[in-house]
Amino acid sequence: MTTAGLFILLFGCMLLGMPIALALGLSSIATILMFSNDSLASIALKLFEALSEHYTLLAIPFFILSSQFLSTGGVAKRIIRFALSIVGHISGGIAMASVLACMIFAAVSGSSPATVAAIGSIVIVGMVKAGYPESIAVGVIANAGTLGILIPPSIVMLVYAAATEVSAARMFMAGFIPGIMMGLMLMVVIYFVAKIKKIPCQPWAGFSEVVTAGWSALGGLMLIIIVLGSIYGGIASPTEAAAVSAVYAFLVAVFGYRDMGPIKQVPWRKEGEGTGAMVGRNSWLIFSNFHKCIYDKEINKVVLDAAKVSIMLLFIIANAMLFAHVLTTERIPHFLASIIVELGLSPWMFLIVVNLLLLAAGNFMEPSAILLIMAPILFPIATQLGIDPIHLGIIMVVNMEIGMLTPPVGLNLFVASGITGNSMGWVIKACLPWLGVLLVFLILITYIPQISLFLPELIDKIQGY
Amino acid sequence: MFLRVFNRLEEAIICILIVSTTLLVFLDVVMRFGFNAGFLWSQELTLHMSGWFVLLGASYCLKQGSHIGMDAFVNLFPVGGRKILSGIGCVLALVYCGLILYGSWIYLKKMHMIGIDLEDIPVPAWAAHSILLIGFSFLAIRIFILLWSIIFGDVEGFKHADEAKESMQIAEELSKEENMI
Repeated sequence: MTTAGLFILLFGCMLLGMPIALALGLSSIATILMFSNDSLASIALKLFEALSEHYTLLAIPFFILSSQFLSTGGVAKRIIRFALSIVGHISGGIAMASVLACMIFAAVSGSSPATVAAIGSIVIVGMVKAGYPESIAVGVIANAGTLGILIPPSIVMLVYAAATEVSAARMFMAGFIPGIMMGLMLMVVIYFVAKIKKIPCQPWAGFSEVVTAGWSALGGLMLIIIVLGSIYGGIASPTEAAAVSAVYAFLVAVFGYRDMGPIKQVPWRKEGEGTGAMVGRNSWLIFSNFHKCIYDKEINKVVLDAAKVSIMLLFIIANAMLFAHVLTTERIPHFLASIIVELGLSPWMFLIVVNLLLLAAGNFMEPSAILLIMAPILFPIATQLGIDPIHLGIIMVVNMEIGMLTPPVGLNLFVASGITGNSMGWVIKACLPWLGVLLVFLILITYIPQISLFLPELIDKIQGY
Repeated sequence: MFLRVFNRLEEAIICILIVSTTLLVFLDVVMRFGFNAGFLWSQELTLHMSGWFVLLGASYCLKQGSHIGMDAFVNLFPVGGRKILSGIGCVLALVYCGLILYGSWIYLKKMHMIGIDLEDIPVPAWAAHSILLIGFSFLAIRIFILLWSIIFGDVEGFKHADEAKESMQIAEELSKEENMI
């Protein structure tokens, strides 16, 4: 009865077009008032505590800030050049390089649609010029773009960690191998497709190109190294790593790459300038322009955009914590778990149900919203069935990836159709064969927990637990 | 004029909160690794700043239409039906704000009566938590304005963020560069 009331109210509010945060909050409060003795004052306190008691949650605004600074076309170009220099000469090289570029950009930006937009708008044209059919180019990019939420640092994983109180650092460790594995799977398929279609490849540009391209992409690559290195090494918590990466991203974008801000497009070295003069001029340039960053229009806009996304996410999370509170006090997951145990459903059958449920939900809602609603329900059931919470998290994230490629809410589809000017139907058809790769990957992830759990367990062992 | 100053001020406060929270945690890391020292109050301060940031920003985001939601169902209806459904949504949202406001009022009054401070910072707890009242009042006002313009104006419903559209900005920026070359 309580369960039915809660969910009818929640979905009713959402159908009316209410923001998800408000829908979650209202349905939870109404259920608490009707079916339990908690006072409104304690609910208000809980809402504030949701925001002021969880240090891990702070990583979300920091990562969003850092990704806003580095999710620019300039960074995308540098990463693509680096990826091309490494794998461009293999058969199917340009497409492979695009996948590699998506993987790197995904780690920097943590967002799937942004990855498709940034990488896709550059490489799709290039791939078509090099002799690829446009449908292959679009399909590859839209699929590789979904890696944005799987390759750490990923905001969706932080949301899962917040919803289930699993360690965010361990989620980041768990996502690493699956992310790379999926990228490799796409590349292998591309290799064979390119062989069959006899698509020409680029000449090997030489090792010097790898070094120069690597140097120019280093600003973005270092971010990944700093963040993952400090988290995997156990030096810093995700929150601290995120704060450092936000400051770092600001410095690189404004003073390193100079893609935005007061000294936009000013070259590091003018023609015919000596080293000493260059160092002196740049030091003075940075020093004398530092204060201008405070009121620079572009930088203000980046910060405000990051603030908007962070507020939206954190406000949903705060309300989702009320929702999770209702679920636990009403013992709804336990009730469902006992039904499942009574039915004699084994863990692998339960995981099929989870996959189908999430794939269906992924068609209608945004990844973070689904995670916040479903994770508190599925998490206790999974624990009872002996499924590792980290493994469940990765399964959920991979399901969300697929949700980005299925209409009507598939964000990547919208972006892919936007940047190429093709119709949605055409994009869906182009993505379909590659979606098969993703589904195979989902099955692997679901039934081989070791893919996700290997790295966190290895690091635990190294650190001596 | 007043509204413009108010908007600008609101944006500025939100930006300052997120930037100073980031810098404070960054400073904490630097102090810990560089000087092996730390501040006792920094964690509580950052967490409360993030609380203020979110609760103050919630109403700003409603105005800017950057909350996420589903409009697939509402869009099935003609304009009139859409307005009625969204209007009901607004009323429910106002009920939500009302309940939270009532709860926070009781809570803050009790905290004021007890008069305790935060754990590490010598600020009364009721003052630190007063953003509940401020933030949700703003939110209620903004929802009320939305309801008003749904009934009497030509607004059809809640505005939602569209991540796909926002990502297209990067693509547009890139294609602009292409044209310049």
